[in-house]
Amino acid sequence: MSRVLDAKGKDLRAVSTQLKEMIAVGGGGVTLKNAAHLHGLCGGLKSGEITIEGNSGDYLGVLNDGALIRVTGDAGKYVADNMTRGTVLVDGDTDYGAGQYCYGGTVVVRGSAGDFTATMNKGATILIGKDVGDEVGTYMLAGDLVIVGNAGHNLGNYLIRGNIYVGGQWASLGHNIKEEPLTEADVDKLQGYLAEYAIKADPRAFRKLTPLSEKPFYK
Amino acid sequence: MPVVGAFCVTVHKDACINAQVPGKCATCVEVCPYEVYAIDGNGQVAVQNYNACVGCRICAEFCPENAIRINPAESEHLTRYPWTLGQVEEIHHKALTGEYLLRGFGTMGPLPHFDQILVVPSQLAAEPPKDKYREECEMEVVIGEDTCEKPIRLKYPVIFPAMSFGALSREAKLALAIAAAKMGIAGNTGEGGLVEEEPYYCHGYVDKEETQKKWEPGGYLVVQWSTGRWGVSADFVRAGDAVEIKIGQGAKPGMGGHLLGAKVTEEIAAVRGIPVGSDALSPCRYYDVLSFEDLKKQVAFLRDITNYEKPIWIKLGPSRPYDDVRLAAEAGVDAISLDGIAGGTGASPDLVTQGAGIPTIACIPPAVRALKDLGLHRKVKLFALGGIRNGLDAVKALAMGADGVGFGTAAEIAMGCRACMACHKGNCPYGITSQKPELRARLDPEEAGQRLANFIKATVEEIKILTMLSGHSDIKDLSEEDLRAVDPNTAAITGLKLIGYERRMPWWENEHGN
Repeated sequence: MSRVLDAKGKDLRAVSTQLKEMIAVGGGGVTLKNAAHLHGLCGGLKSGEITIEGNSGDYLGVLNDGALIRVTGDAGKYVADNMTRGTVLVDGDTDYGAGQYCYGGTVVVRGSAGDFTATMNKGATILIGKDVGDEVGTYMLAGDLVIVGNAGHNLGNYLIRGNIYVGGQWASLGHNIKEEPLTEADVDKLQGYLAEYAIKADPRAFRKLTPLSEKPFYK
Repeated sequence: MPVVGAFCVTVHKDACINAQVPGKCATCVEVCPYEVYAIDGNGQVAVQNYNACVGCRICAEFCPENAIRINPAESEHLTRYPWTLGQVEEIHHKALTGEYLLRGFGTMGPLPHFDQILVVPSQLAAEPPKDKYREECEMEVVIGEDTCEKPIRLKYPVIFPAMSFGALSREAKLALAIAAAKMGIAGNTGEGGLVEEEPYYCHGYVDKEETQKKWEPGGYLVVQWSTGRWGVSADFVRAGDAVEIKIGQGAKPGMGGHLLGAKVTEEIAAVRGIPVGSDALSPCRYYDVLSFEDLKKQVAFLRDITNYEKPIWIKLGPSRPYDDVRLAAEAGVDAISLDGIAGGTGASPDLVTQGAGIPTIACIPPAVRALKDLGLHRKVKLFALGGIRNGLDAVKALAMGADGVGFGTAAEIAMGCRACMACHKGNCPYGITSQKPELRARLDPEEAGQRLANFIKATVEEIKILTMLSGHSDIKDLSEEDLRAVDPNTAAITGLKLIGYERRMPWWENEHGN
C-alpha cells in the first residue's frame, strides 16, 4: 500500500521536505500527485521508491544517488541529470537532455526522448524505448546508450568512450564514431536490458557504435 | 608572450662549484624540469638548451653559490614594436606547427588596472583617520545570512578562487585548504572534483570525522558545479559549505576546459570519475541550462539538495558585467564572483587570455550598479577576482563596491611560483601546477600553507591600514569617494573622480550620478 503525497499548490521546499521525511520513516513507496509544476524534484536522494502520477517537471531525479523514481506520464527536460546511482523510469516521453552528465544508475524512457539525450554520460545505462532527437550521446565518456527506435542527426558526436546501440535508423553520425559488429556479449547484455524493463525488440537487430579514438582531441 | 629563446642563461664560472671541481655539484641539472642544463661524461655542467628556458629561475634559487643569472633576451615592449620578439616567435610557432599558441597563467601587458587608481587618505574634510594599533576594523563578510540556515562567515574579505585539482597538484590544493583554515576564509574545489582531505582540511581538522582540530579558526570550502561536472555527485555537492555554479572565468571567458588524455593520471581519473587516459573536455556552456529559467531552476534544486543550508554562489567571466550580474542576482544566488581579464588559468590560447574579456577595474562598477538597481547591493555578496595582488588592490576593489576579493594567482605566487607562465607544460618546477611526483615532492602542503597564511595575514593588515587611514572602521564603509583615478581614461571607465579635477567624468554624472 503506497503512501500518497499531493503536491498541488506546494513549492519544491515543502514537497521535498515532506518526501524526505516519508522516506526516512520507511514503510514502502511514496506516490506523488500533481507534481508537474515542480522542477528538480527527488534531487540527491539516497534511497526510496517514488512514483510520480502523471507528468513531471524538469530536472527530475537530479543527482539521484540510489532512489527508484518512476513517472507514469511524460517527464520534462534533463531527467536524471548527473545521477550517480539508482533508477529513473519514465513511462511516457521526455524532453531535451535526458540522462546528461550521469556517472551511474539506469535511465529508462519507454517513449521517445529529445535532443542531446545522454550528453556527457559517464557511466549510466540509458534505455530509450522509441526514438531520439539530434546530437544524442555527445561527448559520452562511458556507459551504454540503447535506442530501440530511430535517432536523429549527429548521433554520438565526439563519442569518447562507451557504446551506443541503435535498433532503428539514424539520420547521420557525428564525429569520432564507427559502427562495429555486434558480439554475443552485446546480444546478451541487450537481451538482459530489454527483458528487465519489458521492452519488445530483437537484440540481434541492433547496431553497435563505438568511438574511433579515446583521445579525439589529443594530437 | 612566452617565447622560445626569451631568456639568457649565464653561469659564472668563477663562482660555479662544478666549473672548479667537475662532478661535485649538479644542482641546476637536477632541478631544471626543462633540461636547459646537461652534464657530460666528465661530470661537467654545460648550458645545452637556452631555448627551453621559461625563466622560472629555480636553478638560480637552488644554486648553492649564486652563480646563475637569468636575464630576458630582449625587452618585450620596446624593441621593434609592433614586431617584438614575442610576436615574431609566435608567428614562427604557428608557421612551424600549424597550431595556435597555448599557455598558462594570466593576461600580461598594459591594460587598465588598479595601478591607475589611488586611495584617498582622510584629513579635515572627512571622518578623521582611525588608529590601527588601538582601534578595531570590522572585516567579516557573511554570505547567505538571510537565505541560508548555515551562512558562511568569512573572517576577512578574502577567498581563494576556484583552481582545479588537475590544474594544480594535490599538494597545492591541500596547502590552499590549510591556509583557508588558518585564516578563516574560503577555499574552492575548482571544477576538477574533490581531493579527499579538502573538506576537513578547510575546516581545520586533520581527520575525516572532524574530531582533531589542528588549524584555528577553521575555514570553509566552496564546491564547484561546472560544465564538465567532474566528480560531481550528491555527496560532492553536500561536502562543501557552499556551491559555486561556474559560468566562466577571466582568463578564458566563453571557453571550456580541456584536460588532455595524456594528463588524466590514475589519481585524477579517480577524482574526476572517468577512465584513465581519456580526454576530459569541459564544455564551454552547460548542456543542462538552455535558458535563464533553467539557471533559476538549477539554483533552486542545488538549494534543495543542500537542505537550504548552504549558500549558492555563481562565478562569472568578464563579459557584460551589468547584465550578467543582474541576471545572476535575479537567479537567486547569495554571492557572485566576478573575474576580470587578468584572472589566471592552467592553460588557454594565448590570444584569448590576452584579448578576450574586460579589465577587472571596469567590471566592478557596472556589477555594483546592477546590484544597486535591484536593491541587492551588500545583500548578494560580490567578490572581485582577477589580478588582485595586495591589500592596496583589494581595498580599491572593496571601495568600488565589492564585498570581498579573491587571490588566485597571488596565492600560487605565495606558494613559491615565480610567474614563468608555463603552467600548461605540466613541468612546474615548484610542484604547484605539475602532476609529476618528483616535482610535487618539492611542495610541502604544511609549509606552503603557512606561506599562504602569512601572505593573507599581511594582506589583511594592508587592507586594515588603508581602510583606517581613510577614516573607516568597517570595510563596508569604504566607498568610491575614497578613491581617485590617476588618468582620464581610468576616470572614464570606472566613474571614479579624476585627480585634480575632483569630479567624475561628465557622462557618469549625467547617467549614473549619485
